[in-house]
Amino acid sequence: MEQKKISEKAVWAVGKVFLVFFVIFSVSPIIWTVIISFKGDNEIFNTFLRFTPTLENYTAVLTTGNYVKAFMDNLIICIGAVAVSVLVGVPAAYALARYQFRKKEDVAFTILSFKFAPEILVVIPLYKIFMSLHLYDTYFGMIWIYQFIGMPLLIWIVRSYFEDIPVEMEKAAELDGYSWFEIFFKMLLPLVRPGLVASALLAFIYCWNSFTFGLMLCSFNVQPITVAALTYIGSDTFHYGQIAVAAIIAIVPEIILCLCIQKHLVRGLSFGAVKG
Amino acid sequence: MAKITLEHITKTFGKKTALKDVSLCVEDGEFLVLFGPAGAGKTTLLNMIAGIDDPDSGNIWFDDTPMNFVEPSNRDVAMVFENYALYPQMPVYDNIASPLRSRKHRTDEAGIRKEVERVAAITGMSEYLERRPSQLSNGQRQRVALCRALVRNPNVFLLDEPIAHLDAKLRNAMRKELKLMQKNLDCTSIYVTHDFTEAMSLGDRIAVIRDGEILQVGTNEEVYYRPAWEFVARLFGECEINMIPARIEKRNGRLWAVTRWEGVEFPVPVDVERSLGDVAEVDLGCRTPALAFSREPAAGYVRGSVYSVEPLGNKTELIVDVQGDLIRFIIPVDTKFGIDETVYIGLNPEHIIFFDQKTEAFLACHGEETGTEV
Repeated sequence: MEQKKISEKAVWAVGKVFLVFFVIFSVSPIIWTVIISFKGDNEIFNTFLRFTPTLENYTAVLTTGNYVKAFMDNLIICIGAVAVSVLVGVPAAYALARYQFRKKEDVAFTILSFKFAPEILVVIPLYKIFMSLHLYDTYFGMIWIYQFIGMPLLIWIVRSYFEDIPVEMEKAAELDGYSWFEIFFKMLLPLVRPGLVASALLAFIYCWNSFTFGLMLCSFNVQPITVAALTYIGSDTFHYGQIAVAAIIAIVPEIILCLCIQKHLVRGLSFGAVKG
Repeated sequence: MAKITLEHITKTFGKKTALKDVSLCVEDGEFLVLFGPAGAGKTTLLNMIAGIDDPDSGNIWFDDTPMNFVEPSNRDVAMVFENYALYPQMPVYDNIASPLRSRKHRTDEAGIRKEVERVAAITGMSEYLERRPSQLSNGQRQRVALCRALVRNPNVFLLDEPIAHLDAKLRNAMRKELKLMQKNLDCTSIYVTHDFTEAMSLGDRIAVIRDGEILQVGTNEEVYYRPAWEFVARLFGECEINMIPARIEKRNGRLWAVTRWEGVEFPVPVDVERSLGDVAEVDLGCRTPALAFSREPAAGYVRGSVYSVEPLGNKTELIVDVQGDLIRFIIPVDTKFGIDETVYIGLNPEHIIFFDQKTEAFLACHGEETGTEV
């Protein structure tokens, strides 16, 4: 009895120690970046914690250059892309889950296969297409290409959620006197919501962090934040403080989003829709 | 309130035929039991009536209105699904209230509360209204599904094995409750079951279905005492009917049934004789009243040995091995037999149901003028 208690405690302690190390491992780069962002250029390399904090990096990034505009551009593109993914992906997922049609599995697989090729492989033909369609350097073009990043994942996750809902439940609602749209919004959507929220969030993060398409398919009018951050790695001078500020600004929306819907993220990717 | 008419309904799923040319008429206010083994097409037939599935061919009528192309929500049908089909995200109260909140059956909240509490009281679910379906046992979920169907007054009431998952005691209580409820509601009901006690006790009429074909429709007496097919006879009765093959022979102007057991032969009852025609090979369908047993040898009795004894509370099911045939029947509980004990079996011709051995169709039984047509 005593021994069992001791071994249980040991497992618990080892687990905690592991967690502590993991937190240090994953959070320390962010803390280090935050510290650097408050240092002047001359203090970057020769101090660690004792330095005179300054906001000059922040003022430089926020007032000069186009970083704020890039941030807003990125927001527009990503929200647009996720909105398209959800609007198109949820009905597509429903159709793939519920209806029987020829080549159904092939269609589903083709959608997933968009994710197979590395972006760099398809970006040159895409560049040609964008140029001839006059989509180069436009919001429309960027949203169009960004929704391919998240939609396959969203369709596959939401589809499995729809498949978990018994067909009889829809039929029962129909017999109760509800129209198809009412059933969809009142009965089905609440059940797929965890999966939908989680996959939409993942889609947003993938879009937000996407680099290749932003680098190759747009230039001055529209510029994602990942590409804009690159400008701080100049050819002659390296402003590490400003790079740190750019990085922090870039990850803030993701961190806020993740914290807000953490609950859904964990549940949505681990459980099915209908338990028991 | 509606009379349901099905005309030549056929339905196939891929290569499998689920329903073959089914025609059925359910009278207004009738309680019809659809009875058959698993996979017979019972649920498919219900789905057709509810409009969940469409028939490949054939017509569905409610009274004089063709229903083939009417959406399920406009048919005014309430259905209890075998797998409950509850809304997992809603508490029990909202599940039951759901039909009354739809646009078609809109009721004010006070009315909803009254109705929900009424049906919850009938099914004993009053204490569970705040729970979610995932916190209920299967029997409780089934009762919620039943409540959801009962809460409004539908044209047609379809029940797909609604009490199959309840425990025996509750099942008995619910059976009585359902019967009473159906009388009060006075709406046409179709009840699917594979439990013959339920079928016998609930139905005004019973439709026996096998492999997508309706074999017989009749009152519980008809299907029990005059089963149209051997298959139907086998389904009813708590110990399966015994089929004893026999030859029909003409002796001195009378027809005699001669079994393959030596000495077991008897003149066919006079009224049965007329219906037999010239069928030479028959199966004698023998339930308990058609069998006699004795511990001493007697004329017309054949020797067998007890194969198994199964006490069923107030009675005992006895299986006797007679020259390789296993004969089952019920004996009073105070009659004790041991395994392998010798017992002599005889037949009571008045209670035997005669079937054609080739077609397995009903031929005749004592007290009936002619065989039934399906």
